[in-house]
Amino acid sequence: MKSLYVAVLLLAASGLVMSAEEDSSSQAKLLVSKQIFNKYLVEDMDIVLKYSIYNVGSSAAVNVALKDSSFPADSFTVVGGSLELNVDRIPPGANVSHVVVVRPRKPGYFNFSSAEVNYLPSDEAKQPQYAVSSEPGEGGIIAFRDFDKKFSPHVLDWAFFAVMTLPCLLIPFLLWWSSKSKYEALVKGGKKEKST
Amino acid sequence: MEKLFCLLAVLSLAGLSAASSACTKPEVSAQSYTTPDATILTNIGFVAEFTLTCGNGIQNPPLFAELGGKTQPVARIGANKYQVSWVEDVKKARRGDYTINIYDEENYAALRKAIRNNEDISTVKPLAAVVLNYPGAYQGPWVNSEFMAFALSIAVWYAAFSAKSKLLA
Repeated sequence: MKSLYVAVLLLAASGLVMSAEEDSSSQAKLLVSKQIFNKYLVEDMDIVLKYSIYNVGSSAAVNVALKDSSFPADSFTVVGGSLELNVDRIPPGANVSHVVVVRPRKPGYFNFSSAEVNYLPSDEAKQPQYAVSSEPGEGGIIAFRDFDKKFSPHVLDWAFFAVMTLPCLLIPFLLWWSSKSKYEALVKGGKKEKST
Repeated sequence: MEKLFCLLAVLSLAGLSAASSACTKPEVSAQSYTTPDATILTNIGFVAEFTLTCGNGIQNPPLFAELGGKTQPVARIGANKYQVSWVEDVKKARRGDYTINIYDEENYAALRKAIRNNEDISTVKPLAAVVLNYPGAYQGPWVNSEFMAFALSIAVWYAAFSAKSKLLA
């Protein structure tokens, strides 16, 4: 079960890859994290992914392009957002958050790897800087059937149980009720006869 | 001399284009996505995608978004197509409409100034506004079906027992 559980991974600090430049004083530095906001990963149910880009440098990052090609189209459908984005400028100290919602098409283990980021560390820079985001890591995607078995309210099953118990409750009750109403009618009839 | 003139012409052109880089008569068409089923999530994802068409034909202008006093650059996900998205805790997520104000560079500078001077940010007119509606997400049943079945069986037993004791009394 533990492996099925994908915690919110705050790997922003640990998962960044930055090749440090010597003259980093007036350059942009981007920290990129990729997080999953799911308790369970289930086939055909939403997985909420958040990419956070944070500029810790002293200059604006220019032409920032983030691309996540770690979701093959045959095993994931994107239902909200885009796995590719561009931001013209990220000023120093600024944050950009980007959310994408995907749905896995089949169960099984899947390695959630990192997204790639390209940017120019300053306005004058010609050499683009390449970075990768943090990796949420491997997660097990549960088949919808198994998930439903475990977590669904089982309304249908309980309804079936109620229908099955109905005869052994209803038949004695109806027998009792019919005899009761018969006796009450007799008692009433007897009273009527006495009074007349 | 000719070179200098050429350079000046280029500079003035650049200046002109910079001056006219503001998007006029913006038209926004938006679509949004919020998670309908939150039983397996810790946070709800809010995704608003919109296409911006400028009356003066400006392509892909850089945009900024403001929501609840927080600003951030808007991510461009295609030609004139943008996305504003964020996550919120399942328990704290408020149902209803979220109005995202979109600013271009000029408006954004004014907005920054207003925030810096602690002025009312509603005085800065945004370029456009995108409304995202969150109808709420399914967070599981109100009562457990096991509990419901238990309560029902107790009720049936109580009815039968009270009827019996009434008869015997």
